[in-house]
Amino acid sequence: MKRIQCCVRLLLVATVTLLLTGCWSSKEIEDLGLIVGTSLDLETGDVSSEEQQDARYANRQLLTITNQFVTSETTVSGTKEGALPEKAYKNVSETGDAVLPTLRNMLLKVDKRSFAEHSKVIIIGEELASTINLQQTLDFFLRELEIRPSGLLFIAQDQASQALETNEPTKIPAFQLVEMMEGHERTTKILPPMTVAKLEGKLYSDSSFLLQNVSTENGEVKFAGAAIIEGKTKKLRGFLNESDLEGIAWMSGDAKGGLVKGFDEESGAPIVYEIISAKSKIIPHVKGDQISFTIKIQSEGRIAEHWVLSDKAFDNQFLKKAEKVFEKEIERLVRKALDKTQHEFQTDVSGFGNKLRIDYPKVWQKRKKEWDQTFSEVPITCEVKVSIKDYGTSGD
Amino acid sequence: MNSSMKDKITTSQAVVIIINYILATGILTLPRASVEKVKTPDVWISVFLGGVVAMIAGVIIVKLSQQYPDKTFYQYNQDIIGKWLGWFISACVIAYFFTISAFEVRIMAEVTSLFLLEGTPTWAIILPFLWVGLYLISGGINTIARLFEIIFPITFVIFLLVAFLSLGIFEIDNLRPVLGLGVVPMLKGIKTATLAFLGPEIMLLLVAFMYPSDKSKAVKVVLAGIAIPLLFYVITVVMVIGALSIEGVLTRTWPTIELMRSFEIPGLIFERFESFLLVIWIMQIFATFTITYYAATLGLAQVFKKNMHPFLYGLLPIIYIIAMTPKNINDLFTFGDKIGHAALILFGVVPITLLLISKLKGKKA
Amino acid sequence: MWEKVISYMPHWQVFLQGFLAFFIPYLIYKLFHVFLFVNKSNGKIEMKENSEQVEMVHIPIQKTLEQFTGDFNKDLLQMRKELGHNWDIHFREFQIGNTDNRAAIVFLKGLCDKELIDKHILKSLMNGHAEKSSVLRGHELQQSIRNEILPVSELLEESKVMKAVGKVLTGSTVLIVDGIQNVFIIGTAHGKTRNLEEPVSEAMVRGPRVGFTEKLSVNTSLLRQHGENRNLSIIEMEVGERTKKELVVAYIDEIVQPNLVKEVKERIETIHLDDVAESGYIEQLIEDDYLSPFSQVQSTERPDRVIAALLEGRVAILLDGTPFALIVPVTFNMLLQSPEDYYERWLSSSLIRLLRYFAAGISLFGPSLYIAFVSFHQGLIPTKLALSMMATRQGVPFPALIEALIMEVAIEILREAGLRLPKPIGPTMGIVGGLVIGEAAVQAGIVSPIMVIVVALTAISSFAIPQYNAGITLRMLRFVAMFSAALFGLYGIILFFLFLCSHLVKLKSFGVSYLSPTIPYRAGDWKDFMVRMPLKMMKHRPRLLKPKDSVRKGE
Repeated sequence: MKRIQCCVRLLLVATVTLLLTGCWSSKEIEDLGLIVGTSLDLETGDVSSEEQQDARYANRQLLTITNQFVTSETTVSGTKEGALPEKAYKNVSETGDAVLPTLRNMLLKVDKRSFAEHSKVIIIGEELASTINLQQTLDFFLRELEIRPSGLLFIAQDQASQALETNEPTKIPAFQLVEMMEGHERTTKILPPMTVAKLEGKLYSDSSFLLQNVSTENGEVKFAGAAIIEGKTKKLRGFLNESDLEGIAWMSGDAKGGLVKGFDEESGAPIVYEIISAKSKIIPHVKGDQISFTIKIQSEGRIAEHWVLSDKAFDNQFLKKAEKVFEKEIERLVRKALDKTQHEFQTDVSGFGNKLRIDYPKVWQKRKKEWDQTFSEVPITCEVKVSIKDYGTSGD
Repeated sequence: MNSSMKDKITTSQAVVIIINYILATGILTLPRASVEKVKTPDVWISVFLGGVVAMIAGVIIVKLSQQYPDKTFYQYNQDIIGKWLGWFISACVIAYFFTISAFEVRIMAEVTSLFLLEGTPTWAIILPFLWVGLYLISGGINTIARLFEIIFPITFVIFLLVAFLSLGIFEIDNLRPVLGLGVVPMLKGIKTATLAFLGPEIMLLLVAFMYPSDKSKAVKVVLAGIAIPLLFYVITVVMVIGALSIEGVLTRTWPTIELMRSFEIPGLIFERFESFLLVIWIMQIFATFTITYYAATLGLAQVFKKNMHPFLYGLLPIIYIIAMTPKNINDLFTFGDKIGHAALILFGVVPITLLLISKLKGKKA
Repeated sequence: MWEKVISYMPHWQVFLQGFLAFFIPYLIYKLFHVFLFVNKSNGKIEMKENSEQVEMVHIPIQKTLEQFTGDFNKDLLQMRKELGHNWDIHFREFQIGNTDNRAAIVFLKGLCDKELIDKHILKSLMNGHAEKSSVLRGHELQQSIRNEILPVSELLEESKVMKAVGKVLTGSTVLIVDGIQNVFIIGTAHGKTRNLEEPVSEAMVRGPRVGFTEKLSVNTSLLRQHGENRNLSIIEMEVGERTKKELVVAYIDEIVQPNLVKEVKERIETIHLDDVAESGYIEQLIEDDYLSPFSQVQSTERPDRVIAALLEGRVAILLDGTPFALIVPVTFNMLLQSPEDYYERWLSSSLIRLLRYFAAGISLFGPSLYIAFVSFHQGLIPTKLALSMMATRQGVPFPALIEALIMEVAIEILREAGLRLPKPIGPTMGIVGGLVIGEAAVQAGIVSPIMVIVVALTAISSFAIPQYNAGITLRMLRFVAMFSAALFGLYGIILFFLFLCSHLVKLKSFGVSYLSPTIPYRAGDWKDFMVRMPLKMMKHRPRLLKPKDSVRKGE
């Protein structure tokens, strides 16, 4: 009996000491401040704190980071006694030269423990993107565990922190942005979403890419084209507007839905084509040292609206005419986009290099380094084929 | 709980033991480790061939064990090469087994403390894990096999579910061109891929535990036991590279988990699916840990011809100390590589040699 | 090089932790071993004391007669000595027929069948054939009584006094006749028994509405009534030192494995208790591992469950005085099965069975998953849910674990209370209590509404489990799961699950491993595990019991 008692006592002591240390990683959910969106801007104004001044002195650029917090107090249902909050979110800003120290400085301002696993968007200001290498800026976000690789990236015209504001009190801007991105399936003017996961691959392979551009007017957020990030320097080169984006969407085959507006030759009236499906194939040709590309675009759709009085949709002739009109229009869009990317910006954002890599890997190995330069000189031809399946419920 | 051969396992149990042993850290690190060597999207072919190599090694080991159907490796290697050399090889194998145990435990602790429990000290993560393993092993090989039979279907179902959920961000272009730069890069990756298939060496022990009527089926057991992890690994590699692309994989420490985190399916109950992967992965690590721990204990018990009991408890602190030795993650990965190399020698070269020697001896006698 | 080696050596703290790693399980192991040994020897000590006492009690009896003599006066005196002081024992002396052969009956009022005694025994003996009985004496009289005079179906002769006393005490009548050495024991036991009703604890929508009663003979008759079965063997045994009770082991001869029956009998014979009040005592004394939270013997009140089990090759134990019969050996899936699964069609039964497994899972892991997600892994829940959780949990003063514990304990208390309350109030109290307490707690800000939902769901899920004792097991384990979730989050739940599985895998019930249909993989047994395949496909008995005759359906 003595043995048992001795054993039991020892065991109790051991267990109690173990358990006394407590649960280490538990944090209750209502104590968290969820970060749902982050924006980064270049700081050009006056700086306040000493370390910021030091940094400026040592010739380092300063960033202003704004985090959008949603806490248990700001969510609508969290209020008691019917007192509506003014905003459903809270934005907190800080300035500094490296991302993480700046973020941690926010601890001095926020009473909740910040928790970034629900972060949905990262918005980078135009100036910042054109001045500092994107890979350096985003290094923290790629490394930090809490930021999920499913977050979306945007570029903002002017100040990025503006994109995180909204006039409507119950909406959270970060969520709004995410939901607006879902519209890319219905129009060609919005890019397919660029997640952090995909971004990494592009950054490390030194290829150029596009990032959706966000502009704010009067407190309203709008998607306005895309920003071109050059592969080699990883900085912002310029912007493509919405109609350029259409051409890009057609070229890369990402057009899942959307419209093409063509003009009838004879009457000059608009005919609108709605895309049901669109495919594109980029075929590289290599003859010796000469590289050229052919783009083959195929699409099926319907006539959604037409203002031509003289023809009826029931008439196949009209359909054939309309198809030609659309083909021309699509080709024009593609040409316009190619013009801009090849000649004005000299960057390959539509994945021509990728296709070359797949079909002619050895050639790609040779040309990889100077690809953007090479790309601006290769001839590209384009063939479009449109077929109209139906015209809705009115055959007029 | 003694080292006699009274516990028996069926063929399906043997298959499941091999499968669960092989599926361990490879799921998480294989994509990156192999892409580092191969640098083209042909990694999946290397993985496939690595599995084939493992199968060959497995068959050799089985043939060797079938020469002495009722003895485990620790017992019959003395018959083949004499007492001292046999002891030495047994000691090496035992050391290998408990080192692998410790390695698996440490990797599990690293991943868990990174993704699941941030503030918890490592010892608090490892100790309960060790204790549950100890509890399981004290029931003998039969209980281990039965637990594996529970874990395996769960793993299978959840893994396939999660892998196919990631089809949403899968891009086939990331996997092309196939053999674009020739066969050479792919061959470089075979060695790394084979290391992910460490596991058939358990057949050195298992054949002795099978029912006498089943011993001839041991070859089929090994082949089936490697084929299923082969499938798993190929699917993993294909999905990871297809979604993240080669360059994306190179910089990620744990690419498979990143794959699971990079998509969200709104509307399904859990939007985020990395928890599933982590759950099955921890169970698989537990499986690998227990079987290697058992193999090491069995070895010690048979070499010293005593009961397994004291060795079970005695090996626990040793495994713990070895697990805590690597100082950072890079150390841990190099540690893993070194173990892999040791395994290649121990289980690639030694069984062939032993088989030849035993065949020669057989002919003489 | 030496420096390099040293640089690889871990801290002294690591060594300390390693020592702890070894020490704690070793302590636990030693504890259990010592505990087990002491317990077993305690049992032996108990037994020794018992037998000593029994011996001491036996001694005075040994002074008296062990066997009946033929002397009527002496025998009657003996019986009066043993039983006369009891109020309910009656002695009726009379004379046989028209002779002066004295006879007496001893019977227990209340347990005996008065009508039988009056009409058949006394009448036949008193009015019997006058001529013959006047002549007959001794042995011939004995033959005559047995063969011609007494028209009763149960008639035995007994020579030992104590046995006769025992028989009287259970309702038989002892007939002492002058000149005959042995006494006659006439079976007139007719205790009061209740009607056959559907058992309350195992109600079913479809199926026979009969349940066992407290009388053993009624129970065995129910088994026999199920259908003519030549191989249904019902073997009698006796348990209890002071109050001897009849126990019956039932099995089907051609199906069951003989070793199993032998094992069961052996284990029952090791029971040395004063009084085996209920079959629960037997259950706890013959089970393999008394430290396990899982029950290794199934108890049931329904005869159809018993018969189904017997037909699979299991053994049933029925005890007089309790309607609960025991079935051994038990496997895990039996805890989640109900005979109703077989009476309904296969598709609906399969789905309902799957639902039950799901409910068992929720009942076990529900609150712990909640705690893990709310306290540890908030990143793994969908954002909108996280937001609403944050909103509703605002102002709750307790961490998730305490909240969960409060609610769970409250529900457990409610449940226990509901069992004790009288029938009209019981269910209402449960519902009202649950609703009101939950609602009030939310309003007061002590718990969050999501917690109430989780707890309510778990409580309801645990009611979906057909076996009551399985439900209790899961309730217990739920608390352990909550604690491990509170310590380590999802990792804790995984470790708990692995620990539970390790335990289940090691558990054996009478030589059959507890998780038998699933492990080892036997495809044939899976037809009845999680789903119920159509009857046409279930031709064989489960192989886990190694039955002798494995074909269920003809051909």
